[in-house]
Amino acid sequence: MQRRIPLLIVLITGIFGAVAFFVPYPAIRSADEIMRNDVQRIIAAFSLVLGVGSIVQHHLIKIQRKAQFWQYSYITLIALVITAIIGLFGGIDIARPGVLPTRLGNFSFHIQTIYSNMMVPLAATMFSLLAFFMSSAAYRAFRARNLEATLLLLAAFIMMLGAVPLGRLIHRELPAFAEWILAVPNTASKRGILFGVELGIFATSLKIILGIERGWLGGGGK
Amino acid sequence: MSTTRENVLIRLQKIDRRWIYLVLWLVVMIPLLFPFKIQPQPSPTVEKLFNYIDTMPENKALAISVDFTPDTRAELQPMVVALMRHAFAQKRRVGLLAISVYGLGLAEEAIQQVTAEFNTNARTHEDSVIYGEDYVFWGWTTPVLTVMLGMGERITNVFPVDYYGNRTESLPIMRYIKNYDDIGILVTIAASAIPRSWINYAQVQFGVNLSCGITAVSAADFYPYVNSGQFIGMLAGMKGAAEYEQLVAQRMKKNGMDWALRNRGTEAMSSQTAAHLAIMAFIVIGNIAYFATRRKRK
Amino acid sequence: MNLSTDPWVWIAAILTLAIFSFLYKENPFYRFAEHLYVGIANGYAITFYWHRILVPSLFDRVGSAQTPVSTKIWLIAIAVIGALYFTRFIPKISWLIRIPIAIVLGYASGTSIPRAIDAEIIRQAKATIVTRASFANWQTGLWALVILFGVIATISYFFFSTERKGVLKPVSYVGIVFIMIGFGASFGYTVMARLSLFIGRLQFLLGDWLGLIK
Repeated sequence: MQRRIPLLIVLITGIFGAVAFFVPYPAIRSADEIMRNDVQRIIAAFSLVLGVGSIVQHHLIKIQRKAQFWQYSYITLIALVITAIIGLFGGIDIARPGVLPTRLGNFSFHIQTIYSNMMVPLAATMFSLLAFFMSSAAYRAFRARNLEATLLLLAAFIMMLGAVPLGRLIHRELPAFAEWILAVPNTASKRGILFGVELGIFATSLKIILGIERGWLGGGGK
Repeated sequence: MSTTRENVLIRLQKIDRRWIYLVLWLVVMIPLLFPFKIQPQPSPTVEKLFNYIDTMPENKALAISVDFTPDTRAELQPMVVALMRHAFAQKRRVGLLAISVYGLGLAEEAIQQVTAEFNTNARTHEDSVIYGEDYVFWGWTTPVLTVMLGMGERITNVFPVDYYGNRTESLPIMRYIKNYDDIGILVTIAASAIPRSWINYAQVQFGVNLSCGITAVSAADFYPYVNSGQFIGMLAGMKGAAEYEQLVAQRMKKNGMDWALRNRGTEAMSSQTAAHLAIMAFIVIGNIAYFATRRKRK
Repeated sequence: MNLSTDPWVWIAAILTLAIFSFLYKENPFYRFAEHLYVGIANGYAITFYWHRILVPSLFDRVGSAQTPVSTKIWLIAIAVIGALYFTRFIPKISWLIRIPIAIVLGYASGTSIPRAIDAEIIRQAKATIVTRASFANWQTGLWALVILFGVIATISYFFFSTERKGVLKPVSYVGIVFIMIGFGASFGYTVMARLSLFIGRLQFLLGDWLGLIK
């Protein structure tokens, strides 16, 4: 029952989703629109509970158990609560403030300001660290051990030179050659891989709908 | 091989990675402070997208889907800015949306920047860009299917209110942009596989013209779609952004809009060049040290 | 040097440097910034999910006098199904979370099947097939043949159902060559991508914060 009902729902909604693509009848189209605009939208909104709830639960447990760096969990929770309060009660459009004032004199702490000046720098810098890790990996690990690795290296070098204007100064045709590598051999290999991946996705989607693939159910239940 | 040389090679292989980080930092920073003028040459995929938007019929709008998050802002934000400048310079309507909630603020930043540029430099009312008439920011909703399939029927059903809380039906621009039929091309600016979803849902069902601006990490993976014509051209990474900025600057100059606007993608090219050479040097030095010490051990 | 006087630019710069400090070694500033980011990101998401989804799509419609009673009941029923996500935190009835997941997963899987087959397989196969139109000039024709052969070679490399002998062996080796070139191209572009992100941060620090870049 605890597994059969969800499997039945997956079967019905899956078949409906596939059939709606082919059937032009207004009743089916209308049902499909309701499914997308009402059902999927509202359920997707509640799915945020999973993400936020998991984060909150994880950090509360860390604090309770006094795990390593548990003090920093307070920062996450406090930041989450404060940002949510400012956003929920302060409004999301600077021109239309909410019930909570988000300005102290000239200093604004509107949700958009917090986004632009805290979230963007934090996220962007976090990802920019990858440049350093990549350079270290390139120095330590990228070895032309065999013909295939050498081929990969050569292609990478041509791309790196072709991607910058300097490539044109080295050889007039280098950027065009780099473009050719992308447009011909790269396209061929990526398309071949794409066929395999898409057939795999198709098979997995079918297995999910037919109830053969049940990993998403998680453990427990009958 | 002499012991001194061998020691140098071994030390080179075991060098503390923080020295590599420092070299990279300097190699990127110095050209930003002392840039050398270096003009990117547009590649065929960038030119294809540019020419398509440049010659788009007057009654068709440009839709930009800001599908990236702040982590890839440096690469992709210049694309949004350049596309908006291009559309406004050609007096085409623009509709913006975000597939990811974290892209909303980035789209808003781009809108604020470009509209300020145009409205500051506008000499007549016709030159200025007005919200609700020349452009609209539909905002964000979820899930992805609702957006991609719903926009093919009626955009105001998908976005009943815009990003600023206005009812979209009340905006004058929405008389001219009802669904994909009124969109000349939709450009998805993304760092993930979202452009594939646009093809699978929006293009397969409704035949909307698509293109994409993508991070360089994923660019190579999307070439099959450019080759098949499912994407009309493509902007790949900061290089693509810089090339598009150059084309737009030339177009604006031809239209009498020589405003010396800042082009972040183009500005980065001298640092990008130096950094690429540095990475190549790292790889070469690493391999020399490796093979030299390996030969010694044999 | 033209230092910014905007306090928010200074906050952004300090947070940026806190993250960069990780390059030297992990430290309390980095950990603080990391945890702050997670909190703000989630708070931001809550804000927009509430204001742009739940309020206009659910609460406003249920609260509106113009909405028919049957629609209101329908919306409340969907909201109850969505609220089953909360059962994840109640072990005794946590199996109920499978219901909203099943609705989303089933519909998404079903809608993707015919569309993905069309876009990713049929149209890509069409683009691979060499026709007379491919030979608009000799170059496009030649490259179309190379792409066709490359696709077949790549697919044959991943074919493990039979032993690699006969024609399959050299063709699958050519497939490796194509794959290595493709991955090399991806790596070269990945280098560009990663460096671009760092350049972007330096543009902010040197330009917007320190005013050293005009």
